Amino acid sequence: MSYLEDDLKMALRRTEPPEGFANRVLARVSGPAPAQPSWWQYLTILVRPPRVQWVALSLIVSFMIPAAGVYRKERQARAEGERAKEQLVFAMRMTGNKLHRVHQKVLEMGRTDTRL
Amino acid sequence: MSIAGGTAIRLEEDPELAEQGEIPDFAEIVREHQGMVFSLAYHFLHDRGLAEEAAQEVFLELHRHLGTIESRAHLVFWLRKVASRRCIDQIRRRSFWPKFRLDEVPEPAAKADERDPMLSRALARLVASLPEKPRMVMILRYQEDLGPAEIAQVMDMPVATVKSHLQRSLDILRDKLARSVGEIAI
Repeated sequence: MSYLEDDLKMALRRTEPPEGFANRVLARVSGPAPAQPSWWQYLTILVRPPRVQWVALSLIVSFMIPAAGVYRKERQARAEGERAKEQLVFAMRMTGNKLHRVHQKVLEMGRTDTRL
Repeated sequence: MSIAGGTAIRLEEDPELAEQGEIPDFAEIVREHQGMVFSLAYHFLHDRGLAEEAAQEVFLELHRHLGTIESRAHLVFWLRKVASRRCIDQIRRRSFWPKFRLDEVPEPAAKADERDPMLSRALARLVASLPEKPRMVMILRYQEDLGPAEIAQVMDMPVATVKSHLQRSLDILRDKLARSVGEIAI
């Protein structure tokens, strides 16, 4: 066995526990059994350790970012639709006016023809 | 075969177990093995409070499984196995490791004597900076003086893995010590 192994044996030799250790164990054994946690307490465990909180937060964020993107796209598409609808209505009105004028002219021409 | 709290059971009916004597009652078990269980936890966790908590949990678990203990030898094996498992679980649960990273551990300042308490402390801290499984393997080897085959049984791992953990951990410790006290034959 090398010096290092001897030194390791020395460094890792058994140490006595703090005073009263055995009595504390025996007191815990003879004490009332800890109550079984209910289902909602198990749920709270999910969010207790800080790491899980980060996981939960990152999950929420990773859902929110695509959802916000989809919502924004939908709003943009709706606004474009509204604009296209307005343009169509405007174009139809213009066409209607022009048709109305042509119709008027045709009627006037008809009147003059009958007078001849 | 069981031992209810406070009652010792004789095992004469099984000659092999009888050789190992009767299983003492729970209080006696705690008093007899508290040093071993606490030291395993202390060398692993390097914190007396956490070590006491872990050691208490081991004995509470023993109390719940007292009926399954078959002999003194089985009792010691069971305590070592459960203590090792609990310590590793505790580290994982608390994200405790690495409390001491290998490169943060101060190197021993002076040439060491054979029984140098400074060297012992430095070595204990170096062992505490090893990853979980190699650390427990080292503690079982040098605190409990177990051979690779016994460690393999306690830790449920192949003997070859135990040997490789031991070899690698010794190399790491040797390297770390050699950097500061190069001339010492280690």
